Amino acid sequence: MFHNSSRGLFTLLLMLLEWTRPGLPSPLRPICDLRVLKHFIEEARDAQAAMLTCKEGCGLPEPVTVPQTKVDFSIWERKNALEQAQEVQSGLWLLNQAIGSLRASVTNTALQSHIDNSLINIFRIGKVLRSLNIQECNPPAGGVSGGEETWRVSSASELLQVHVNFLRGKLQLLLSNAPICH
Amino acid sequence: MHNCVALSIVSQRQTVTKRDGENRRLELVAYQLCSTTERVGRFVLRDKKMTNNNLNKLLVFCVLFCAQKTSIVHGAQALETKVALLLHAEPENPKCFAEGMSDLTCFWEEDEERAGSADQYSFIYTYQNENSSECSVTALPAAGGKRLYFCRLSQTQLFVPLDIRVFRDELLIHNRSLFIELVFLLDPPANLTLTSTGTQGQLKASWLPPSLKYMGDSMMYEVSYTMAGSHIGKVEEVQASSELILRGLQSGTKYKVRIRVKLDGISYSGYWSTWTDPVLMETMPGDLDPLIVSLSLIISLVLTLLSLLVLMSHRRFLLKKIWPIIPTPESKFQGLFKVYGGDFQEWLGHSTGGLWLRPAYFYSEEFPAPLEVLSEVSLGPALPSSALPPKASEALGEEDEDEKLKRVDSALMEGWRETPQEHWPMDQLRAIHQHPAPWTQSSLLESHDAYVTLNAQNHSGEEPLDDILEETLPLQVLFASGRTSSESRSDLGSFQQSSGLGRLSSQSSFEYPNHTWPPKGPGYTYMAVADSGVSMDYSPMSSSKIDDIGKGVIYTNEYKNEIPAHRRPIGTPIHFAF
Repeated sequence: MFHNSSRGLFTLLLMLLEWTRPGLPSPLRPICDLRVLKHFIEEARDAQAAMLTCKEGCGLPEPVTVPQTKVDFSIWERKNALEQAQEVQSGLWLLNQAIGSLRASVTNTALQSHIDNSLINIFRIGKVLRSLNIQECNPPAGGVSGGEETWRVSSASELLQVHVNFLRGKLQLLLSNAPICH
Repeated sequence: MHNCVALSIVSQRQTVTKRDGENRRLELVAYQLCSTTERVGRFVLRDKKMTNNNLNKLLVFCVLFCAQKTSIVHGAQALETKVALLLHAEPENPKCFAEGMSDLTCFWEEDEERAGSADQYSFIYTYQNENSSECSVTALPAAGGKRLYFCRLSQTQLFVPLDIRVFRDELLIHNRSLFIELVFLLDPPANLTLTSTGTQGQLKASWLPPSLKYMGDSMMYEVSYTMAGSHIGKVEEVQASSELILRGLQSGTKYKVRIRVKLDGISYSGYWSTWTDPVLMETMPGDLDPLIVSLSLIISLVLTLLSLLVLMSHRRFLLKKIWPIIPTPESKFQGLFKVYGGDFQEWLGHSTGGLWLRPAYFYSEEFPAPLEVLSEVSLGPALPSSALPPKASEALGEEDEDEKLKRVDSALMEGWRETPQEHWPMDQLRAIHQHPAPWTQSSLLESHDAYVTLNAQNHSGEEPLDDILEETLPLQVLFASGRTSSESRSDLGSFQQSSGLGRLSSQSSFEYPNHTWPPKGPGYTYMAVADSGVSMDYSPMSSSKIDDIGKGVIYTNEYKNEIPAHRRPIGTPIHFAF
């Protein structure tokens, strides 16, 4: 009897979950135009330039982990598409975290708008990657331990420079070589 | 031999990399081959026992080697041009440029006097978050007493800052931080070709982009095109493309086109490459644009019509100017030429009553009237009473100058002289000036014209006057009558008419030699007359009486013309109207 009721409960639960299941995202049109990325890069550069002029109220409270931006083509080409995508996605996640913490500590209003812009752009980049069928990576539990592809920065200007270099480098390489666009 | 030298220069580019050994070996082999081929060549000629097989192998080897040699030579030349370009374009030291995806060439310049050997320099480079590394320095002589020091990296990391420090004997001489992906200096595009698009004034330029992976979309091209022989050219930019259509060119003209490349500066950046060698191409010959032809035809037609209209509207004026009409007096003498063939006597006889039918003629200003002409001229010098020279009388009818009257006066005053006519007025004037007129009673008398007076009196006891009103001028009549006058009188004499006229009487000023001009009756009215032969000019009349001067009343309408018809000088050119 208990078995019967549990089965019924289970069925009811499944039905409920079926209704409340979050809708699958509709397939996006692939965004292959690199002018979108150009726009993101330019806005990131503006943020970096604004940070250079900021004197007060624009510091990181504590060092943050950021991805490595360097690209050695001989090494990069040896990686497959999945590895490349994973590298880019994890880097974007790290940047998102780092710039988010910067946003909390910055008091300069002009800089705040730039930082907000940067965060929105990272979100949009994620959408672009999704449109190109580039999988999102799930960060390992407990945060990223570091590894070869990360390092720590303690100043806000360094962080924003890393942001610019990452967009210009790894992200651009990934987008320009997306198989769906060729 | 020079090829071998070039090879040795290039081979000095040493790198501290894993491939260094390979490169060295290759260069060494090449060098050996360079010298070996010469020996082998000699050997081949000498040894006739060489087999065909070996000969073929040697031939293939030589061909490959030659190809490599040429490419090496080209590479050396390209390096030279790039170095020269950067020496101008880049202010910082050391000057660095990347040619491909994973290389970097840095160099700096020093004067020959202060330069040291390559061993004295050390090139230390450090990527962000990494340890430093060293690159070995090579030296090369350069033009202008300079020395170039090179360092070449064959494995690079992009999108990360690179710190470069150059030391000379432990002393830091250069320091620079750069991004390698921002210092690209590419080779110019290859295979630039021009083709016709089939449309006038257009050319299509196409080229081969530099073969760099991942950078095709970031390349920016600049196409420069000029007319052959001209220095002024136009430039067009195009992004991430391998062809461009040049528009707006002149038809049938030769154009010179060249191109250069640069990275767009978003992800990658760098310097403009050198220009390619120019390519010449002629555009299609031009046709006459039908629209332009038709428009120009219409405009010319409109202009022609306008000019014709203007000509037609002004044709009379133009005809007068080009072909003036010879004036004839036919309109005044109706029937003279057509009916009587120019016979004036006949015409006169047939048209006696004609005058009455011509009121315009009747009331015109030019009316015949007998007048006595008075002259202000002094009667001091004795005047010869000889007859007027016929010339003077003829001159009256012929001359049409304003000085005519003065001339007549002088002729009368001085009598017949053998002086030319031109001097008469001058002499006359002189005479007048010497003997100024005493008639200052009225302003009229200040002039030296002849004066005519009209006297409304009945003369009696005057000598009968002949019918002197012929076709001749009244002045002539006066002259004729003057012949009988005395010496003291001028030849003008006095001319008095009483018979038939009744009302009019006139006196000549010459009757009074002492210039005592007695005012008669109500006063004499003076009028200056200037005879031009065609018409007479009259100055306003004024009275001799002092009282009348202030009044200024001229009775111009008092005198009526009652000259009998047969005596009226019909057809005279001079008439007096009142």
